[in-house]
Amino acid sequence: MANLKKRFEIKARDFVRAGEVSIEVQSLLKTIGFRANDVRRAAVCAYEAEMNVVMHGGDGVLELTVDPKNIVMDFTDDGPGIDNIDLALQEGFSTATPEYREMGFGAGMGLPNIKNHADSLEIHSKKGEGIHLRISFIVSDGP
Amino acid sequence: MTKSLSDLKAVHYIHVNEEVCNGCVLCMKACPTKAIRVKEARVAVIDDGMCIDCGECIRVCPRGALTAIMGKSDMGDLSDHFTSVSASTVLYSQFEEGILPNDILLGLKRMGFSYVHDQTYTNEMFNVAVELFIKEHRKKDDASFPLISPVCPVVVKLIAYRFPSLLKNIPPLMTPREIVARESKLRLAARHDCPETDIKVVHITPCPSKMICIKEPVFQEHSYLDEAVALSNIYEDLKKNIQDVDEDIVLHHSGGIGLGWGMSGGEITGLDLNCLAVPGLQETIRYLEKVEMGLLNNIDYIEFRTCAEGCLGGPYTVADKYQAKHNLQKLIHMFGVEKRVKYSYVKKLYDKGWFFTDKSPISWERKLPQLTSSDISKGIERQNRVEEILRLLPRKECGACGCPDCRTFVEDVVEGKNSLQGCVFWESQKKKLRIGDNKVPAHIREDLPESD
Repeated sequence: MANLKKRFEIKARDFVRAGEVSIEVQSLLKTIGFRANDVRRAAVCAYEAEMNVVMHGGDGVLELTVDPKNIVMDFTDDGPGIDNIDLALQEGFSTATPEYREMGFGAGMGLPNIKNHADSLEIHSKKGEGIHLRISFIVSDGP
Repeated sequence: MTKSLSDLKAVHYIHVNEEVCNGCVLCMKACPTKAIRVKEARVAVIDDGMCIDCGECIRVCPRGALTAIMGKSDMGDLSDHFTSVSASTVLYSQFEEGILPNDILLGLKRMGFSYVHDQTYTNEMFNVAVELFIKEHRKKDDASFPLISPVCPVVVKLIAYRFPSLLKNIPPLMTPREIVARESKLRLAARHDCPETDIKVVHITPCPSKMICIKEPVFQEHSYLDEAVALSNIYEDLKKNIQDVDEDIVLHHSGGIGLGWGMSGGEITGLDLNCLAVPGLQETIRYLEKVEMGLLNNIDYIEFRTCAEGCLGGPYTVADKYQAKHNLQKLIHMFGVEKRVKYSYVKKLYDKGWFFTDKSPISWERKLPQLTSSDISKGIERQNRVEEILRLLPRKECGACGCPDCRTFVEDVVEGKNSLQGCVFWESQKKKLRIGDNKVPAHIREDLPESD
C-alpha cells in the first residue's frame, strides 16, 4: 500500500510560528485527497498536540505517516513529561501557567480533545523524560 | 437546472488581453489559488477551474492586461424598459465632503434609471435576520459555528472550491443586494402591471466578481439582478449628474449602520453578537483554515471580505481606500448608529421566509467530486514524487518556469503539464547532482548525463 512519511520540527515557546505545523499537515492531507472530516479531525489533534509541545515540551518532532487507510501522527518532545497520565486526560485538568492562561490556553481540554477526535491515543511518558504521543485515525470509508 | 463543477469551469470572467500582456510574473505570483501560469514567458493563462474571481491579478497588472467581464458601462437608452438601479454602499464613499447619499441617489435617477433603490436599509434588515438565525440555531444547536457571512462572493467561491467542508457554515440567507433586486422587480411589476421579466435591475459595484455571481449563482437557482456595472465606469457620468441636483425627494432612509457596510467591520457593526471582521485575501484564507480546525467555535459570525479594508478596497473604485473609509466614517457619524428598522416587522418577514435563498449552500457540496481510497492512494504516490523531485531543486522560487512557486512547478511536472527542463536552474543542478547522489529517482535519472 502506498504510504508517505513526513517529519516536522516544532520549536518550544515559538509563538510566532505556533500552529504552522498543523496548518501544513491539514493542507498536505487535503492535497492528497483525504475526506474533509478526516482532515478536520487530524488537524484539530495536530493543533492541540503542537500547542502542547510549544507550551510545555522542549523542542519536539511530529512524524506523520499516512496510507489510504490510516493517518498516524507521532509527537515526541524532550520536555518535562507528564506526571499522572490519567489526571492529564481529565477534562478541565491543566498545568498551564498564568501566562498561558492569559493567552487563552489552559482550559484543560487539550488531551481530552485529542482523545475525542482521534480513533486511538497512546501516551508514553515519565516525569522528566519527555512525551511520546501516538495519535491514530482510521480513514473513513465511502464518499 | 443543476450546475456541476465542470459547468462552472467553462465560464470565463477574468480575461487576459494577449496583445497587452508581456508575460511578466506579477499576476501569477499574486494569485491566491495558483490559477495562473505564464506560457512560454509570453502570456498569462488563467485556469478557470481554479479561479475564484478575486481580482488580485487585475489589481497588480501594471499594463492593465487583465479585466473582468462586467455589464455595459454605456447604459444606452434606458427609456424603452423599466430599469431599476441599486448600488453598493461603497458608492457613497467616493465623493468629496458635502455630497450626501441622497444626492448620489438623485444623480443616478437623473442618469436615466426609472427607479433608484437604496440598499442601506435592507442591510440593516439583513443584520436582524442574521441575529434571528443565530439565536434560533444556537438554541436548537443544529448549525456549524462560526457562521460565515454570505455577502462577499469571492469568499463564497473560495469556500466552495478550497474549503467545501465549511459550506455548511454559510447561512442560507439571501444577500441584501439580491433582496433589493427581488423586491424591486416584485413592486415595479405590480405598479406597472407587467411581467417581472420586463424590469431590469442593475447593480453598481466596485467588485469584479459580481457579474459572475449574477450569471452563476452558487446558492440560488437564479439571480434577481440582471447586470453588474463597474463603479469606476459610471463615475464621471454620475458626477456630472450630481452637480446642482435640487429635487426635494428623499430616497435615502437608513442610518449609519447600513451605510458602513462598504468598509471592513461595517456589516458586524449592527450585530449584537460575538463577531469578527476579517479583511484581505491572505487573512481570509488563514482564518478559514482556523475555522476548519474548529478553533473559532465560540464566535457567532465572521464577516470576511477578500479586499483590503473591505469593499471600498475593491478594484473598481475611484477614491483612495483610506480616504473613502474616512468619508464613510463621517457619514456614519452624521447619521448615527441607532437602529432604524423595526425588529417586530423584520421578525415577521423572517418567519415568512423572506430572507431565505431557494437553494441551501450545502447542495453545492454534493456536486464536488468525491474521492475514493484508490484516489487517496494515487494522491500519496503523487505527493511522494513531488517531495522527491522538490529535494533536487535549488528552490529559488523565481517563477521563470511560468509557475508561481517551485512546489506548484513540480506538481505540474508530476501531472505531465510541464517538464523539468522548464526550470532555468535544472541544467546546473544536473551537473551538481551527478556527484554520487543516488537519491535521484529513476524516472529523473534517465534525464541525467551518463556518469563515469
